[in-house]
Amino acid sequence: MTPQLPEDVPSSVDPLDLRAASRDLWPGGTLDFVQGVAAPEPDRVFLPRDAGEVARVLRWAAEAGVPVVTYGAGSGVCGGARGMAGSVVLDTKGLDRIGPLDRDRWTVDVEPGVLGQHLEDWLAARGFTLGHSPSSIWCSTVGGWVAARSAGQLSGRYGVIEDMVLRIEAVSPARGRFVVGDGGDAPEAWWPMLIGSEGTLAVITRVRFRVWPAPASRWLRGYAFDDLPTAVRAMRRLVQAELWPAVIRLYDPVDTRVGGRTKSKDAPEHAPKESDGWLARMLDAVDARRALALPLALPGLVNRLFDAAASGCLLIVGFEGDPGVVDAASRAASALLADEGATDLGDGPGERWWRSRHHVSYKLIPIFEAGGFADTMEVACTWARLVPLYHAVRKAIGHTAIVMAHMSHVYPEGGSIYFSFAGRGDRRAYDATWRAALEAVLAAGGTITHHHGVGALKAAAAAAEVGPAIVGWHDARAALDPTGTMNPGRLFVEGDPRDPPVDRLDPAVDGLVLVPAEASYDERQSAATSVLGELMWPWRTLPAPQPWARMPWQSGPMEVRARVGGRPCVLGRGPRSATGPDLRPWLLERGTNREVTLAVAASGERWMAEGVVAQPWSVAQELLRADLRPAVLTVVDGRLRVGFRGPAAAAMGALARARVPELEQVPYTATASPGGPLVACALDDPNVIWVTTNSAFRVPPTVLEEPMLSLVGAEAP
Amino acid sequence: MSHPVSTCALCPRLCRPVCPVAVGSGREAAVPTAIASVLWDHARGRVSDALAASAASLCVDCGACRSFCQLDAPFPDHLRGARVALAGALPHAVPSPEPLRALEGSGVTCVIETDGRPFGDALSQRLQRSVRRWRTGDALGVAAIDGMDLKGPHAAQIRAQASGLALVVAHGGVAKVLSRLGVPFTWLHELVPSISGVASCCAPGAAAPLGCCGGAGPLVVQHPADARRVAQAWAARAEPGVRVVDARCQAHLAAAGHAVPDAIDSLIADLA
Repeated sequence: MTPQLPEDVPSSVDPLDLRAASRDLWPGGTLDFVQGVAAPEPDRVFLPRDAGEVARVLRWAAEAGVPVVTYGAGSGVCGGARGMAGSVVLDTKGLDRIGPLDRDRWTVDVEPGVLGQHLEDWLAARGFTLGHSPSSIWCSTVGGWVAARSAGQLSGRYGVIEDMVLRIEAVSPARGRFVVGDGGDAPEAWWPMLIGSEGTLAVITRVRFRVWPAPASRWLRGYAFDDLPTAVRAMRRLVQAELWPAVIRLYDPVDTRVGGRTKSKDAPEHAPKESDGWLARMLDAVDARRALALPLALPGLVNRLFDAAASGCLLIVGFEGDPGVVDAASRAASALLADEGATDLGDGPGERWWRSRHHVSYKLIPIFEAGGFADTMEVACTWARLVPLYHAVRKAIGHTAIVMAHMSHVYPEGGSIYFSFAGRGDRRAYDATWRAALEAVLAAGGTITHHHGVGALKAAAAAAEVGPAIVGWHDARAALDPTGTMNPGRLFVEGDPRDPPVDRLDPAVDGLVLVPAEASYDERQSAATSVLGELMWPWRTLPAPQPWARMPWQSGPMEVRARVGGRPCVLGRGPRSATGPDLRPWLLERGTNREVTLAVAASGERWMAEGVVAQPWSVAQELLRADLRPAVLTVVDGRLRVGFRGPAAAAMGALARARVPELEQVPYTATASPGGPLVACALDDPNVIWVTTNSAFRVPPTVLEEPMLSLVGAEAP
Repeated sequence: MSHPVSTCALCPRLCRPVCPVAVGSGREAAVPTAIASVLWDHARGRVSDALAASAASLCVDCGACRSFCQLDAPFPDHLRGARVALAGALPHAVPSPEPLRALEGSGVTCVIETDGRPFGDALSQRLQRSVRRWRTGDALGVAAIDGMDLKGPHAAQIRAQASGLALVVAHGGVAKVLSRLGVPFTWLHELVPSISGVASCCAPGAAAPLGCCGGAGPLVVQHPADARRVAQAWAARAEPGVRVVDARCQAHLAAAGHAVPDAIDSLIADLA
């Protein structure tokens, strides 16, 4: 019997709606469009208004064997949200409610169809911010951010999307409605599977985010460096010094030169606007819409000319938040960068970037108009691999595309590179350029995507990157979507197996130490001491607390190395990856010969104080809410202990003491933090052992084992 | 500037958040980029006149996309021409009813700058009640105010309009008239002492990005869901006429009660 179409759910077969749902922002699709290649269209577009309607659509689709493509605002640039022939599109924009805003816990609940800018406006009107500011904020939805692992321009302060999410409500064909995260009813093992699953497992129907009061101050400044390696080193030192700038953007010499990025902040508006629109700047410079064909046809020559003409690069650094913290951190940052040979350019470059930080995409229009293609590729790796990877990609595609880059998401453990490239030709040329670029990234030991996700474009490379750990995703799919209804053919397309790249860890540069996953706290701390200093985040046991029980800057294991079915597997090839769901927890549970890399804090300045205060965990939370980011924040024998590291340690300590006069300085002692899993509790609970800005936590009464195997056989809706 | 259809068809939908039809209806097809892509294909003979006309008719010609666009693409102008050229391709000489779907249930009368389009009449038929139109001669009139950066404020205004399309007011026109008369927008505050902090994104001399009459409360840019609820609450009072001056201060809107629209209506009548 044919399953009954859920006719009570709003839907459309209007040709305009089917056509609109056949495109997202994948430049390959745009190239097809320009060249007259029609995109396959879905059979129907559903516009559900609540989770119940989502569940009815998914249940019908699973029974009818109809693929479902979840569509938000279609801002994906990898072709993962396009409706496909024979499919139905589930458009989430009917789920557009915001709230409640919990002013006490600093959280907000949001439905997936809310546009990013609308959410930020809504929060701003109430004195809060999510702090998520992707360049696509005007044209992307909250659900898309979570499903495809978005990262915003202020990631240094607020983290990337998975650092902001505290709870997810979702619907899958097999499970129906479920909740994971803070207070959830589903296995915690599903959490890492949902974020980055790109519509292949479930539809996200509601998200609880951590929010922050709107920042009271903001500081932006530009610095010039003579060459890229020097600038990369300075940038690395800046983040490994635990100063936590909100913004770090390093433009390579070509981008710096073409972009004219060092102009004063008062440059007139009609001047080329500051943005990631590097190529358009070049085009502006030569009035290039008419003259585009030539440079796009000769990318190798243009690249060489740019290389010869360009020198020096620009670093933009920004802090925002509590004025005292911003002042202390920015002073320390300025001193550190001066020590690295930077030339202070003042606030002009930063202010100009800020004004036009969302304008990047306007710049790509003339390239397509001229019959070319333009695209971006954002990858990540450890610090020692960063510059070699940069050169490897430029070499791999420099003969088919004009290419340049900036680095705008960096972490103590490594950084990302955002390549922009443009060439001329049809899809064959475009696809060949992408294949070469992705191969170069994999060979250089990086992750193929930092925050754009996988979609269809990188599905084969993604499968190559995760290797045998793809079994973890298959397990999840067996539990949540056993009929393969959800976005089939996207995210992972398996090809020939390949081994991970040769290990090139350089502990002193990378700020990482490699230890067995089973190593005790003392063994891990000892390993860290032997290479640099101390564990940056000394969790007493591994795994670290769940993501919603940590602050954005508190990292768990980065790289996980193990064997699965006899095959080697390396996940976490950069400080952050958007190559699908985070399969590292699965690999840690199911792999053998497991090793992990952990961030290490270099030796340097230290500050610590202790004091007896009433409700010490409440005071600890107040310190976090005051924008302080202590390396140590705990209660030992009833005494609140606060510690800072790095060049701003004393200044931050002074700020902490100003808020908590009972603190008295003591010798610094590396202090373990509780491992996971933790459960939320009241701040005055006598068993509190940990706090975030949003919650207090205690050890669960009974630690529940939630092996990934439990994914199989979940209840039906 | 390239041809607006080209610019908009290849744009990554950056004006999406300010399009009242796209936001209010949730239809991807109503995003200006989607409309432009149909017209692009139509110009190349890849789609029918009827489809192109249908796409062009999704627009209510508010002008928000152009005001927001950093490239100042004159897409509304082009669409207006396209609608005229393609009018015969539609089965009825009215725009597609689809935008009206978003208006249903709002329960309030809307004022929409139609710029000669029969949208208001169609709307009136659809809602089965009279619709007031107040033409300013230039979309919403806001662009005529000198010396104001209208990008952000206008965007905020349109987002307010997009709040279920229940809140559409010739707001810019009000501001324009007031500006010409030299009346500061604080007149609301003076007229209705109980109103505190009614905001205007188009207030002459307003501090960017959002102006305010100076009331004590915070500015609130309403999300569509909130604004819809506010609009429905207003509608429940079963009073005719335009309800909302500005949708950005939920608390103050509630405080304003019945007095604000009455005051505006009176003022508009006086000015007319």
